[in-house]
Amino acid sequence: MTDTGSAPAEPQTPVRRGFRVPEEIGVIVALLLMILVIGIARPRFLNPINLLTILGHTTFQGMLAIGMVYLLAIREIDLSVGWIFNFSAVFTGLLMVAGVDPWVAAFLGVAFGAALGLFNGILAVGLRLPAIIVTLGTYSMFQGLSLVVNGGRAVVPPDQTTSFFTVVSTKVFGIVPVAALVFVALAIVMHFVLHRTKFGYRVQAVGSNPEAAELAGISNNTIRLQTLVLMGAICGLSGAMYIGFRGAIDPQEGADFVLVVVAAVIIGGTPLSGGYGTVIGAVIGMLIIQVISSGLIFFGIDATWSTFVTGAVIVIAVVLDQLVKWQRNRALSRAGDG
Amino acid sequence: MPGDTLIEVRDLTKRYGGVVALAGMNLTVERGTVHAVVGENGAGKSTLMKILAGAVRPDGGTVRIAGQAVTLDSPNEARKHGIGIVYQELSLFPERSVLANLFVNREPASFGIVSTRAMEAESRDLLARLGLHVDVRAPVGRLTIGERQLVELARVLLEEPQLIILDEPNSALNERETQRLFAVLRALRARGHTMLYVSHRLEEVFAISDRVTITRNGRDVLTRDRQDLTIPEVIEGMIGTQHEALFPPPLPRAAGHDEERIDIRGLVGGPLKGIDLTARSGEVVGLAGLEGSGVGALLSILFGTLRARTGTVTFPDRKGLPRNPTAAARRGVCLVPADRRRNGLMLEKSILFNISQVFVGARTGGSWLFRNGPAYQRAQRQIDNLKIKARSPWTLANQLSGGNQQKVVIGKWLEIGPKVFLLDDPTRGVDVGAKREIYGLIRRMSADGGIVLFSSTELPELVGLCDRIVVFYQGRIAGELSNVDDHTLLHVINTGEVPAQATLLRETTP
Repeated sequence: MTDTGSAPAEPQTPVRRGFRVPEEIGVIVALLLMILVIGIARPRFLNPINLLTILGHTTFQGMLAIGMVYLLAIREIDLSVGWIFNFSAVFTGLLMVAGVDPWVAAFLGVAFGAALGLFNGILAVGLRLPAIIVTLGTYSMFQGLSLVVNGGRAVVPPDQTTSFFTVVSTKVFGIVPVAALVFVALAIVMHFVLHRTKFGYRVQAVGSNPEAAELAGISNNTIRLQTLVLMGAICGLSGAMYIGFRGAIDPQEGADFVLVVVAAVIIGGTPLSGGYGTVIGAVIGMLIIQVISSGLIFFGIDATWSTFVTGAVIVIAVVLDQLVKWQRNRALSRAGDG
Repeated sequence: MPGDTLIEVRDLTKRYGGVVALAGMNLTVERGTVHAVVGENGAGKSTLMKILAGAVRPDGGTVRIAGQAVTLDSPNEARKHGIGIVYQELSLFPERSVLANLFVNREPASFGIVSTRAMEAESRDLLARLGLHVDVRAPVGRLTIGERQLVELARVLLEEPQLIILDEPNSALNERETQRLFAVLRALRARGHTMLYVSHRLEEVFAISDRVTITRNGRDVLTRDRQDLTIPEVIEGMIGTQHEALFPPPLPRAAGHDEERIDIRGLVGGPLKGIDLTARSGEVVGLAGLEGSGVGALLSILFGTLRARTGTVTFPDRKGLPRNPTAAARRGVCLVPADRRRNGLMLEKSILFNISQVFVGARTGGSWLFRNGPAYQRAQRQIDNLKIKARSPWTLANQLSGGNQQKVVIGKWLEIGPKVFLLDDPTRGVDVGAKREIYGLIRRMSADGGIVLFSSTELPELVGLCDRIVVFYQGRIAGELSNVDDHTLLHVINTGEVPAQATLLRETTP
């Protein structure tokens, strides 16, 4: 891992810090424990098909959570993600209805999502407003426009035997949905991007201390704009894939996404205070939420409880996070005594 | 009344995280005296005052008032023991009236209705005594800074404290306002008030105090009657080493650098009203002036964070002003801000992350990846180069002392090899040892062909370090001085007038 390309004669410097427990270990253990507990009580739960179905269910919201990690990392929140998702899916579906090749339509759907993100970004940067304010407005704008163009009815693309639909809804080895694979791949790529690229570095820098970042030559505006466009593009991708997976987009689909998405990101360990984010954590957080609601069904508990339990998990996650932080601060000030 | 001890502090200690603010501070104040506490930034004097005011709790040590041990664990507790503090930063409510500010939280009221008349009656004498003739119903925001400072003082005096603490009360005042404040303080002393006066401006300390305690690195080093002390002695006590040794001499110019220059012509913008200035590589140009005189604005304009209205600036690359900090950074113009915690560092991030700020954050080209390997080497290089005291590049910026934090800020810029160094009070709150090292670095920057503009609020370092000092007064350049003494410089900064013999000095030393 050492990079001594420019000066091979230099002694090898230790590049890795000593073994460090990954931040995500806590949520991973929590997820495994949950699966184990439900599995012991209801062994049918552990059936790989069931588990993969859970993964499949998380795909579309989970992709949104990946983008939301970047936003929280720069101390922003995009409330409009659910409707960018919906609008992009509707847009893609209508293009298909109009006879555009489904692959091209899907690609344009992603671009459309990015354009909606750009709209958010231009407003937020231009007006110097937090994205949460701007997207509070665009939330309804996108919802309204989507309803206008779909006429309040589900959009159903014709001829769903073409390659786009078969590829997206295929299950590899008969059990693993392609959409879920795309989700996992996107998560890995975006985790890498956040921690190992210039763009990811700048996102973390702006989130850590916007003023210092600005004065180090990292333009807050550029990063905010880029991140909001990225968020829009991911929503577009999720929407386009949703059309291919389900074969239709309901007018209300996506309405309740944003809270689940933000919840998943927070459960995953991304702090609201910015400067740091974990994509892997957000994916695990999404899975935890999904495992809870599926698990409740396995226990025969009314599904309406799942909302309450999800909320309780968020509160527990926040409490644990805060406790860890206090503990760490105390350890820090003790270290100062030495 | 010598021997009548009002307050006695023994072995006070206080730590903030890894930073030691007080390491066994002692102080004895006699009743009816003006007792000055002097020391460099970071010597612990402000922490000591905050403890006496009940705003900060000490880790150890005792405070006795009139022989009784007391615990001052809240501002209210301190007030009950008769300690009043006039803070360095004005803590008034600008939108509220003078009266409302004077009686904040203890408004005289009957049946829950605040009586303005009672407030006026209660404060009239005092305000007259302070020479504060203003409309007491006008909002404080309309008063001058000097008047506001007197309101602040009046608020404290209304509580009739046994001990008045003045924490750099005149840092924002001009010469005339300062003189008026001093007249008030002398009158208060004549009436038997006891005062603790904190400052690092020695001339003032000598003008007002009876007794002086010198602090350094969280300890008291010396307490003596003022008439038994001289300014050089005090400086030596504050710095702890020979004055000369603190400031390294100019280094020989490194070979292979042409002379570069930055030319400023007729610059107007912010408070600036037409500035002409040329700075060349190889010299350290000092910028001095009161708050709002334009020094900060000049640095902001040169770095692209503040727009100029008119005027031309030519940088070494023959181009004009940068549009924004990103453009500045890419053109090799760097700014070391005064408030490094707010404007310089990502405190929750490692040294490694922070050192990469400009190299990875601002530069164009290069790899689109951020790799830990090269970042580690950059951090390690600056740790070695600047002698940053840290366990490893993974140490968080939070865990470093002020001096080491500032070195990280400097280090992040050195990684891109800047041509123009804009240093905005870079030694604020830095301990003396680190200061000396930073002075050495500044000399090296200039010897390596950099153009260095150095602003500071501390006169000795301007005098000791800079080849010439440009003094700003109300948006204009009042004068350009070299080989001046602290006293003359202070005079020019406060009045904008260059005394005849200082001009002479400049002319006799080409």
